[in-house]
Amino acid sequence: MSSSYWLTNVCLEKGFRYENGVVIGTETENCHLLVENGKIAKIISADTLPDDQLQKKDVDNLLALPSFIEKHVHLDKTILGEKWRAVTPVASIFERFEIEKRVLPSLSTTTKERAKALIEILLQAGSTHIRTHVDIYQEAGLTNFFEIQEALADYEGKLSSEIVAFPQHGLLRNNCADLVREAVRNGASLVGGVDPANVDGNMEKSLQQMMEIAVEGNADIDLHLHDPGKLGLATIKRLAQLTEEAGWQGRVAVSHAFALADMIEGEADEMAQMLSELGISIITSVPIGRTIPPATFLHNKGVQVAVACDNIFDSWSPFGNGDILERASRLAELTGRSTEQKLAETLGFITGGITPLNKNGQQAWPKVGDDASIVFTEASCSAEAIARRSNRPAVMYRGKLVSGGFTKG
Amino acid sequence: MTYSSYWLTNVRLETGYQYNNETITGTDTSIFHLLVENGKFARIVPQETVISDDLIKYDAQKSLLLPTFKEMHIHLDKTYYGGPWKAVTPAKSIFDRFAEEKELLPQLLPTAKDRAEKILSLLIGFGSTHVRTHVNIDPVVGLKNLEATLDALQTFSGKISHEIVAFPQHGLLHSGVESLVREALKHGATHVGGVDPHTVDGNIEKSLNTIIEMAVDTNSEIDIHIHDRDHLGLFTMNRLADLTEQARLHNKVTVSHAFGFAGIPEAKAAELAARFTQLGIEVTSTVPIGKLIMPIPLLEEKGVQISLGTDSLTDHWSPFGNGDNLEKAGRLAELYGYADEWSLSQSLKFITGGKTPLDKQGKQVWPVVGDDADMNLVKASCSAEAVARRATREAVFYKGTLLSGSLSH
Repeated sequence: MSSSYWLTNVCLEKGFRYENGVVIGTETENCHLLVENGKIAKIISADTLPDDQLQKKDVDNLLALPSFIEKHVHLDKTILGEKWRAVTPVASIFERFEIEKRVLPSLSTTTKERAKALIEILLQAGSTHIRTHVDIYQEAGLTNFFEIQEALADYEGKLSSEIVAFPQHGLLRNNCADLVREAVRNGASLVGGVDPANVDGNMEKSLQQMMEIAVEGNADIDLHLHDPGKLGLATIKRLAQLTEEAGWQGRVAVSHAFALADMIEGEADEMAQMLSELGISIITSVPIGRTIPPATFLHNKGVQVAVACDNIFDSWSPFGNGDILERASRLAELTGRSTEQKLAETLGFITGGITPLNKNGQQAWPKVGDDASIVFTEASCSAEAIARRSNRPAVMYRGKLVSGGFTKG
Repeated sequence: MTYSSYWLTNVRLETGYQYNNETITGTDTSIFHLLVENGKFARIVPQETVISDDLIKYDAQKSLLLPTFKEMHIHLDKTYYGGPWKAVTPAKSIFDRFAEEKELLPQLLPTAKDRAEKILSLLIGFGSTHVRTHVNIDPVVGLKNLEATLDALQTFSGKISHEIVAFPQHGLLHSGVESLVREALKHGATHVGGVDPHTVDGNIEKSLNTIIEMAVDTNSEIDIHIHDRDHLGLFTMNRLADLTEQARLHNKVTVSHAFGFAGIPEAKAAELAARFTQLGIEVTSTVPIGKLIMPIPLLEEKGVQISLGTDSLTDHWSPFGNGDNLEKAGRLAELYGYADEWSLSQSLKFITGGKTPLDKQGKQVWPVVGDDADMNLVKASCSAEAVARRATREAVFYKGTLLSGSLSH
């Protein structure tokens, strides 16, 4: 595709349709979009076909959605492309660590190959940004990290990405702070961590060290926190204090954060306000069969909440398919978001908050000047796409097709 | 494919479990050739066997053979599927939905047959060859939804077996439709339905008695929706068990949803489960994932026959649901932490009416010569993989006839 071209007959959401003050549907309109240097340069009604010489790609009325963000995967853990194997039952997370350490190096494919297989699936699903954790531990050193870097380098220009240097086996427990530092020096833009209390056994030191490495390397933070109840809440509060002290507002995320599901009345408002003020975001993979952070409550209180896939066929879980839209649909189902507006709003959990229509039903995306990062969807509106997990025949990143294509164009 | 006798060659069948010490770690399979005659398995021979007859051969190319699936709870007569997208409008109670149906059902009626057919195609494509559908019997539509459903099922005659529940959605007593239900049972309905004898009918005793009486009078079976929760649901189900026993309707009663099992002391749930097992009362579940989680593992442990169903497939009750029973089994496995080989493998029984290629001890029990050749060829190495990874269904057969997918010969 040349650097300037038209996307013709693109279906865009225009506003909500109301009946007795209630949103009952979504209005759309067909438009032509001029793409210039990867950005949307013009949006015009489909009534008039531009008579310039630029190439025209007929989108054939597919719905445009902002491309998705996959906020939590482990590209280095998946066994996609390998022979089937179920998960071995274990008595503790530490047994799981040992199994994974043994299994991954024994596979016939390389980490890079498996990561690329997964990246393809993520792109097909419509994710054009990937935040991946990569295991950093003594026995592996930075081998996983470099392989994932290579895999992602092969997709340069097709997606954006960020790597979390993730001490899966415990920053303290595995004594791998120096390795994490090295990963940050080599391009990891986030420092990870896991259960400062129950894995590392020293909440204070674990959190301090994680923060110290982040500040030193000018990196963000994304902490895996499974620790439940008051223990998890205490961890989040301490992390918040350290965030404030370090001036790391807007740079910290807590993944899973199961403890937020255990907040009692009174605690919740205070916690949400703190997270919101410090710009600490929450990432959930919407696991079923256990309680999860109150996504809707947090969102309404101004906390950034993202839905992510997490495990996709690895030593931890035999499930997961990398389809972030399906995950968002699961959140909607699980939390009873079944009306037009609630479904439409759910999209924001997988787009970094961008939705075609804002709360008041005004068109908010796409705007001239936005990146042409678009998922072309067989749906009549966002709400349908979420509920029905609609097919996505084409995915575009900064004006470039990165998965699928248009049948007409 | 219309041959009454043919060979299906190079079929992968499961032959046993693999053990590491005491733990099941994998599934053994071998390749076989299957002779299908008059819709039944006539011979099953090892791969090495030389086939000397002239019968036509279809090559399964080492795909895995599984029994076909059963969709045990759906409403073919009430769906938006195949029509324009519509989200759910907010409702305060089940009675709001009934009011909604008074307007909606007549609007849906002209497309009811067409949409039911679209769902049947969808189900078959996913590998289901049996459907139990509920059909509204209410003062608004009378028997018209039953007629539309019967017409649709007629179109699929010889492709899918079916049961029809005469379902007084607006309350057997509440909407006064006893005589209409009796009519329905004379005109193709096989089961007496019902819904929440307390919340909807306002008279547990009379509602249940009427249902039982109709079933006895017409020699029909029963499938009743019981959403009523905790102790109310428990009481209702215990009363249903009493009446089932008195009327000697053993093995003829199903409770759909059965939410009363959730949110009560485990001992109470276990006690009722044991009664259900003794009386052959089955439970059908959609595997809810929100606040209410069904104690399916407990019911299973007590020996209750459990089946799964899609229920809503995008309708005015729910915008979700996709008709893929294998996905439903995968959801069940994920929800209850069935992640090891054996648990995943045995989860298949929830969608096959209890059939699994291997029994609990790992002995090969399906397919057996003489069984109907209702079979799915799937892209997987074993049942466990098929359930966890939602295997692609390559070909679906009902009584030996290829319904969906393709095969080379």
